[in-house]
Amino acid sequence: MDAESKLKQLYRSIILGYNKNPYHYEEMESPDHEIEAYNPLCGDKYKLFLQIEDGRIKKASFSGFGCAISKASTSILVKRLEGMKLDEIAPMKEEFLNIAFEGAPTEDEEFEAFAAAKAFPGRSTCVSLSWDSLQEWLDQQ
Amino acid sequence: MSTITADTTSLDVQAIRSDFPILEREMRNKPMVFLDSAASSQKPDSVVKAMDYYYQQQNANVHRGVYQLSQEATDAYEKGRHLVQGFINAASEKEVLFVRGTTEGINLVASSYGRKFLQEGDEVIISAMEHHSNIVPWQLICEQTGAKLRVIPVTDEGELIMEEYEQMLNERTKIVAVVHVSNTLGTINPVERIIELAHAKDIPVLLDGAQAIPHLKIDVQALDVDFYTFSGHKMFGPTGIGILYGKEKWLNAMPPYQGGGEMIETVSFEKTTFNELPHKFEAGTPDIAGAVGLGAAVEYMEQIGHEAIQKHEHDLLVYGTEALSKIPGIRLIGTAEDKASVISFLLDGAHPYDVGTILDQMGIAVRTGHHCTQPLMDRYGIPGTVRASFAVYNTKEDIDRLVEGVRRAAKMLA
Ligand SMILES: Cc1ncc(COP(=O)(O)O)c(C=O)c1O
Repeated sequence: MDAESKLKQLYRSIILGYNKNPYHYEEMESPDHEIEAYNPLCGDKYKLFLQIEDGRIKKASFSGFGCAISKASTSILVKRLEGMKLDEIAPMKEEFLNIAFEGAPTEDEEFEAFAAAKAFPGRSTCVSLSWDSLQEWLDQQ
Repeated sequence: MSTITADTTSLDVQAIRSDFPILEREMRNKPMVFLDSAASSQKPDSVVKAMDYYYQQQNANVHRGVYQLSQEATDAYEKGRHLVQGFINAASEKEVLFVRGTTEGINLVASSYGRKFLQEGDEVIISAMEHHSNIVPWQLICEQTGAKLRVIPVTDEGELIMEEYEQMLNERTKIVAVVHVSNTLGTINPVERIIELAHAKDIPVLLDGAQAIPHLKIDVQALDVDFYTFSGHKMFGPTGIGILYGKEKWLNAMPPYQGGGEMIETVSFEKTTFNELPHKFEAGTPDIAGAVGLGAAVEYMEQIGHEAIQKHEHDLLVYGTEALSKIPGIRLIGTAEDKASVISFLLDGAHPYDVGTILDQMGIAVRTGHHCTQPLMDRYGIPGTVRASFAVYNTKEDIDRLVEGVRRAAKMLA
């Protein structure tokens, strides 16, 4: 694939769409948990807000700044989290990373949009930043 | 070798490019456009060859052997120092210390000068446009000594607010440490005035010359600067070597930075006395090949000539600033009147990393991010910038490709 098509793969409408209209992109009044996702190398910084009821995420939102890739990836994460049980998060993350980094086949278009990042040096942390931070938080629970 | 025409202010950029084989490389199947010399410049053939020759024909430890080869290695190493002395017009070779780079030069002064001269309640002045390497070493020594860090603010255009600096200077100020040329904004700071004001109160000044040395003629005696430090790798020399210039009176008054071989006069378990300058500050086996390479880089720059370098780079800066300014949605960060050939910018609604990735796919290497100047990014309320920096081997065609790439990125990310 030439450079131009690779770029178009990466910056296709799913990622650019979420970048422009991120999901629940707002601070939460009184969250049960606030998780920071920060990459000191590039300066991307997000806060994830979770409201939890009976082991289930009732509401999720995020704030902060970063590149189109990390913002879209965080956006999709936040959207998927809503309604999810805490113990369902780790398997979802694994599935996401398998699709994004290992090229696992999938019908999930939103996850698949990130597979193109493989071809770009230094951009894989943009894909996984918020997911990794959430996992770190989970591991501490 | 590049040929220089009789007119000392013009240069044959194609001849210069042929001194840098790496510039012929392709990136992403396109001729590479390298616009990140402010991070590290490319190296001319002559530098690589000088280092090769050293390793293949002269390699031995320095200042230690009675045999001929060790003497040759010592001569090669000290020739590097001699060339640098002339290059920056230091009064003596004793004042020219080899260090690993700018970072180590600043750490050396912060630690050694700081331990001797800083006390609780004293003040150290830096500026809001410092590289992390001229912030953190001072924070560390301030923490140890109880001294306080004061910061000269910058204007929206990226110039130091000199009135504030003047008011900041007082009898508690023990040192002023500022960047000569900003790596993020390109601003050339009014260092003569900074030094003059500090000296009026007997306060020494350290200049971070990392970004000045590749562009400007530096005369440490004319500047009357107390400490001046820079890295070899940003001025066409190798990585791993740099220079700390220090006035002899300060270096004599300061305690050693590191202990070890080379820096001693006599050692016993009761007491060690230290070697004289510059060796007092050069503990351990130094980067000999690095010194040789740095010497070759000095010769390369002198051969082209500072006037020619500056004129060429200024032409590129003017051309690039004008062309980039015309792109809708672009915002230049750093528009000081006196600037080196660095252009930082942001594209409306686009993150610098996304712009950088798109440029990379077009074979264009720029730097993206905070450029190790996070407090400055906070000052402007931005996450980072895209930075294009130009060296003597860049051309207007390079800039045309950049402009085309930025337009493409704007379209793609819109
Ligand atoms: C202004 C400035 N100061 C200091 C440094 C640090 O130089 P080095 O990493 O070579 O020690 C740099 C390099 O990026 C710089 O641009």
